[in-house]
Amino acid sequence: MTDLERPVANPTVVLREEFDDWAVLFDPDSGEAYGLDPVSVFIYRLFDGKHTPPEILEELREACEDGIPEEAPDHLKAFVEDLTSKGLVGYAEAA
Amino acid sequence: MTEDKKQMTPPECGYFLNQIYFYLTQGCNLRCRHCWIAPKFQTEDSIWPSVDFELFKDIIRQGVDLGLSGVKLTGGEPLIHPKIEQILDHVCETGLRLTIETNGTKCTPEIVEKIVKNKGAFVSVSLDGDDAETHEWVRGVPGCFDAALEGVRNLVRAGLRPQIIMSVMRRNADKMEAVVRLAEKENAESVKFNLVTPTARGEQMQISGETLSIKELIDLGHWIENTLEPSSELRIVYSHPTAFRPLSKIFTKSSGRCGIFGIIGVLGDGKYALCGIGETVSDLVFGHAEKDRLADVWNNNPVLNDIRKGLPDDLKGICGDCLMKKMCLGSCVAMNYYRGHDLFAPHWYCEEAHNAGLFPAERIRPGSVSEYGG
Repeated sequence: MTDLERPVANPTVVLREEFDDWAVLFDPDSGEAYGLDPVSVFIYRLFDGKHTPPEILEELREACEDGIPEEAPDHLKAFVEDLTSKGLVGYAEAA
Repeated sequence: MTEDKKQMTPPECGYFLNQIYFYLTQGCNLRCRHCWIAPKFQTEDSIWPSVDFELFKDIIRQGVDLGLSGVKLTGGEPLIHPKIEQILDHVCETGLRLTIETNGTKCTPEIVEKIVKNKGAFVSVSLDGDDAETHEWVRGVPGCFDAALEGVRNLVRAGLRPQIIMSVMRRNADKMEAVVRLAEKENAESVKFNLVTPTARGEQMQISGETLSIKELIDLGHWIENTLEPSSELRIVYSHPTAFRPLSKIFTKSSGRCGIFGIIGVLGDGKYALCGIGETVSDLVFGHAEKDRLADVWNNNPVLNDIRKGLPDDLKGICGDCLMKKMCLGSCVAMNYYRGHDLFAPHWYCEEAHNAGLFPAERIRPGSVSEYGG
């Protein structure tokens, strides 16, 4: 994933948020379900094909009172790659 | 997977035998009104079968070849086995991980000394109330509360902090917080709240209204996860199915689950079974240790192979439509079979919750029959 690529969530995948701000991500094609913690849910909602990774990190930084760790860019990259490998996320076409 | 297992070739069936549950005795020195095994009451004059010690050693020998890494000693009451000290010594010699489920009344200093020689041993002691009246109403034998408490104290003195297990029913539900406080005071490691399962004696309790309704159980689960557990330093576990646990707890605080793919039971008379359910369901008895090789049972028993092939995808009803089924695996196959005569029948808790409109909607597969109330 490069800084210019804009992740976009697979529209067939269902995100179900729960009372504790975690969410279940369900892929109806594979039947697999995954748990997302609140930070992951926040980030996932920005997989709209319009936000680059630096823009996602900036939004996250603004939302977190205590800031974000130095490793956040690596974590985000790993997160996107993991979801991509499972078919849950792709990349928007370049404008 | 341990380093040793990484070096081993799995058995023919593809699954290591991780743990054997030894239901060491068919008798018990208590008369618990909810017991799903329903053992015979044992006294000095009335003694029931127990696993022969030589057979015990032979089973373990065979199990090690299949990847065995731990044994659970349960019952009945494991500590009334006539050769319990030799059994504990033998497990220690093998280096297998030791788990014991006991009513605590026989946790004498001598027995505890043998237990703690097993490094990393895990012991759970049953306490069904913070007072003798409540506990002994459940367990049916006067004096057993003090004896159990002394057992807990003997374990703690020897450096082993036990888990306290409380079986929750209508009579003692108001004692749950008190049991946690007692466990804190006695320096236990954790508290586990078990539900009375609708099996054997528990089934009779359900019929007579002595167990809690599904709504009451679900509400208790919310209270425990969100109020009671955060109030204690102890690990607190409530044995409700995964679908009812907050995601934040599922991924950060394990409540354990049945290791169905890696276990086999040995009953007090030497029979192999899925687990203790073999005492009440003969379909789930797989042979006898005196004449059947463990490897043959483990690799070739058709029930075990059906479970391996069908779980979780063949789960039925609400369990088949649950988003947590891969984690939960139907919660307890033994119980599901007892109730539905089907290895893949839905779990009673989930089925009752769904029928009552109380199953968490966000955990049901979108577009499934269950989503629409079917």
